[in-house]
Amino acid sequence: MKRLFRKPPRTPLLVALLVISWSCTARAQDPKIQLAHLDHLAAKATETVDINIDERLIQITAKLFKDSDIDEVQVKKLIQGLKGIYVKSFEFDSDNNYSAADIDSIRSQLREPQWSRLVNVTSKKDGNVEVYISLVGSQINGLTVLSAEPRELTVVNIVGPVDLEKLAQLEGNLGIPDLGIDPPKKKKNDDQ
Amino acid sequence: MNEEYLWDKSGEPDPEIQQLETILGTLRYQPKPLELPDVIQPASQRQKNYLPWLAIAATLLLAMLAGIVWLSFRSKGLEKKYEAYAPTPAVQNPAPTSIEVPTPNREEAVNKTAPTPRQRRDFVARHRPRPVQLVPSQEALLAKEQLMSALKLASEKLNLAEKKVQGPTPNQIRNQHKVG
Repeated sequence: MKRLFRKPPRTPLLVALLVISWSCTARAQDPKIQLAHLDHLAAKATETVDINIDERLIQITAKLFKDSDIDEVQVKKLIQGLKGIYVKSFEFDSDNNYSAADIDSIRSQLREPQWSRLVNVTSKKDGNVEVYISLVGSQINGLTVLSAEPRELTVVNIVGPVDLEKLAQLEGNLGIPDLGIDPPKKKKNDDQ
Repeated sequence: MNEEYLWDKSGEPDPEIQQLETILGTLRYQPKPLELPDVIQPASQRQKNYLPWLAIAATLLLAMLAGIVWLSFRSKGLEKKYEAYAPTPAVQNPAPTSIEVPTPNREEAVNKTAPTPRQRRDFVARHRPRPVQLVPSQEALLAKEQLMSALKLASEKLNLAEKKVQGPTPNQIRNQHKVG
């Protein structure tokens, strides 16, 4: 009995450490980012968009899209396999209503090794737009768009396999206004 | 022929009779002891095992048949219920009678005796089992609306990023040149 207290058993400790490290790794690979700390901006904002759609809701919604409508079929294909869509967008009536710390709290989560910054546009006049993708192997399993304009802060986090081209093409369909930006045309050699 | 021999075999035997006796003698009764097998299994024992199953199967079959017959009669019965109204030829010009019947009552009587084809169809349609219509829940509709808003926003921002990366479009440059 005394031996037990003298020398702590190693096996349970090792198992516990393995479980903790595995859970930490799994959490780190989850492309869902925490946006709750931006909620305080809602008090200052003139318009707030807060969307939280989990996998269950996506599955329910997918059933509502009609197979007879081509546009709805496209959206249905796009959301197939998605595990969540989370959006926070704040519009302000004046500048400097959000701090650099607010943006850094998002960026710090996107510094994980699974995230890669695809686009980073910095403009003093128009603000910054950053597009991050989360990769597992060679497949995209998450997307985050961080748009920080002087009077608007928007974070879009999509969890799951996303087709960026199809998502970009959605603008102009289903009543979504077209900004007049054409997707880059493929060369003839690419088509063949 | 010596009849004594035929009677009690006392007289002189007839050769033909003796020949017949020899031929038929092989079929004569020969007494031997009864031989029973060591294990006796009654023949009905096997059938007893099948009997309950047969009974269950027969009951189920009968129940199914009864159900089918009842359903077919029920659907026919609804239509026959109308025929109970006995559609009589519509009264075109009722002959004037000495007793005045109030008009509404007369109309009711005509309606009761002769239902219109539309009423018949409605009645059958009301009593016929209908498939359940699935109505999307409020939660699902709200989720769809939110999903579309989220996708719209994501698409806008992606295109905005693309636009900023590509710089001004050639059309814009051309227009600026013309204006300048």
